[in-house]
Parts: sequence; structure tokens; C-alpha cells
Amino acid sequence: MNSKYIQILTLVIVFAGSAFVVFLYWTEPRTIAEVSVKGQVVLGTYTINRAEFDQGLGNFHRDEFIAARAAFDRADPQKRDAIVQFYTAYSYYRQGWGRISNDDALFRAGVEAADRVTAIEPNFRIADDSLKMKTAYELRAELDEGLKITLSDFNPLRLTRERK
Amino acid sequence: MTENDEKAIEYIDIEEIETVVEPRAGSIAVGKRFDTAPTSSAVPIYIVLPIVFLAVTTLGGMRLAADNSFIFLKPALICLVFAAVTLVLFFRSGLIAVDGWLSEGHTMLRNAANAAILITMFAATVQLFNSLLPEHGLPFWIVGFCFFWTLWNNLFANFDTQRLLRRLAALFGLAFVVKYLVLANLTAPEGTSWLQRMIENPGRETFTWLLDLPRYGPGTGYIQFFTLILYLIGLYLTPTSTKK
Repeated sequence: MNSKYIQILTLVIVFAGSAFVVFLYWTEPRTIAEVSVKGQVVLGTYTINRAEFDQGLGNFHRDEFIAARAAFDRADPQKRDAIVQFYTAYSYYRQGWGRISNDDALFRAGVEAADRVTAIEPNFRIADDSLKMKTAYELRAELDEGLKITLSDFNPLRLTRERK
Repeated sequence: MTENDEKAIEYIDIEEIETVVEPRAGSIAVGKRFDTAPTSSAVPIYIVLPIVFLAVTTLGGMRLAADNSFIFLKPALICLVFAAVTLVLFFRSGLIAVDGWLSEGHTMLRNAANAAILITMFAATVQLFNSLLPEHGLPFWIVGFCFFWTLWNNLFANFDTQRLLRRLAALFGLAFVVKYLVLANLTAPEGTSWLQRMIENPGRETFTWLLDLPRYGPGTGYIQFFTLILYLIGLYLTPTSTKK
């Protein structure tokens, strides 16, 4: 082989190898499978697993929230899809909601998921008529309200309120 | 273009293909290597070396967690300083002749390829220090100081290539033993709770807490051993010069 081609090959190897090293140390994948997923994120070809999302959506509408979140996690392992993260946050809200008191741990997890939605897509709006809260801001406000203890919490009329 | 011109160009092309690797000065072992297997091809330098150094760069900061998931640790700033000093040592001892790698007499492409290889060597050296230095706590400072002391003394010592390679192999070998045999055996394994770990391994748990030792999976030592060997092979394959 001509030495010129060998030297060009050297440069290609070094640039490609350096890019791979930077990618690994930047994205810090934890498994071999994550290397491929993070690679898709970097290249902009990352998409959610539609079948898992549909399964999660079915679970969500049947009020099987733990199963729904497991499916959403499988559908969007990198937590980069606003729709999936919105449903995840909503599932935390619905599961944690209580007529007398809310589950603070679930509500806090819901706040984190809602924040992810606004970080991904600030003007996000869901097109699902079965949900009363359409934006991440409404959901975040509801979750925040549920985490606070105020005088209105002791109002007996609260027992008549409905889950959104 | 005349027939003579074409022949002349063909002759120049053929001459360029031959990249003779000069044996390291003062190295008997290296001299023997070239006697038995004369390297007339550029492939070991231009293909194998960057791959070896890039592999070291990739693996040097890699650890395995207790659940065998990957952890990629970025090098501390001190690793860059140590690597820079080590490269200066390589130049001083004649392991790498600067004018044999980067020269006005070389073509632009050849200088670029040589510079790229030297950069991968620097990156691999950084990551080797990243691999051998304990991550934090008292061991980081002690081993870091030992590295600094050794490299600083070597900067002002007179030695040849062979002696430098021996010293570096001994230094890196000792650091490997300290980190992946001694300190790793003082680290308590991952347990469910602090109380359970204290009951099962009181001594190791105390050392882990006192020395701030990270709990890695057992595979980490094997990966880093392979990385160290690969780096030393890379150094062994590195010629003093790439002159024709």
C-alpha cells in the first residue's frame, strides 16, 4: 500500500478513535446497550419504542401506573421524549393522589418528570382528551400544590374534590 | 509527460513506501527485535500504534461497578501534568527523537500522521495515570506524590532509553499493585447496609471509610492490567524515528 494511503488511514483512525473516546467519556454509558442508544441520541436518530409506549398508555388508562411507568421507561430509556415523560409525570400524580392526603414521594418523582418535559419542550401541550391537565406547567402546579401543607388542606370540602 | 518522467515518478512512489524504523539507541533488546524482524513496512507504526494507544485511552478511565455496569472516569488535572513530564522524559532519553517524527523534510501528510500518533501516545499516558492513581482521599495524594517525586528526579537524571523503560515499567507495575491488589483488598464489598458491612467486615469497612476507597467490581483490576500491558507494548513498538 502506498505510504500516503497508510498515513491518511492513520489520521482517519485517530480522528474516529478520538471521537469515540470523547463520546464514551461525555455520555458515560453504563452498558453496551446504552452505548448504542446514546450514540443514537448524539447522532439525532433517537426514537422511542412505539410498542412499549402503546403498552404503557394502555396500562395508564387502566390505572396500572407501576406497569405503565415500567413500559414508559423501556420506551424512552434516555428520558428524552416529552410525551412519554408527560405521561410518566401524570402517572405519578394519579397514583399519588389521595382524597385525604397525597403520597409525597410519588408527587416529588412527578415533579422531576414534569421538569424533564419542560426542559425537553417548554411549550409542550398534550393532545389527549382524557387528561384534564394539558401542559407540564399545570401538572407541575398541581403536584406542587399537593406537596404543600396549607390551611385549605383542612377544609372538609376537599373530600369532594376529584382527581384530574 | 515523457516516459522518463513517468519512470522517475514511479521510482519516487516506490521509495516513499519504504519507511525504515531505526532501532532505539542503547537498547540491546530492541536492537535484537529489529534484527530478527526488520520492519520495512509502515503498518506497525501508522496503524498498530494508534490503535494500541487509542485502546489504552479508552480503557484507562474505565471501571466496573459492583453490578458490572461501566463507569467512565475523566482524568484528574494532575494526570495531564504527569503525562506531559513523561513525554518530556521520552524525548530526553531518546525514546522518541523529535526530528525523527516531526521534520521540515517530511511531507505535510506524514507530519500530520506522526503528530496524530504522538497525540494518541499523550492521551494514552494521561489515561494510564488516570488508571493507576487512586481516585480520591489519602491514597490519591500519597501515590500522586510518589509519581511526582519519581518523575521529577528522572527529569534531571542521566539515563538511556532502556533504563527509562525499565524504570517506567517498575513504577507503573508498583502503582498497579498498590491500587488493584493492596487497596482493592482493603475495600469492603458492597453490602445491603452499613451495619451489616461493619459486622461482616469490620476491618475492611473501616479502611474503606478512612481511606475513602471506591467499591469497584472485581473485573476492574483485570481490565486495568490489560491496559497497562497494552501501553507497555505500545511503548515497545514505538520507534525512535520514522525517517526514511
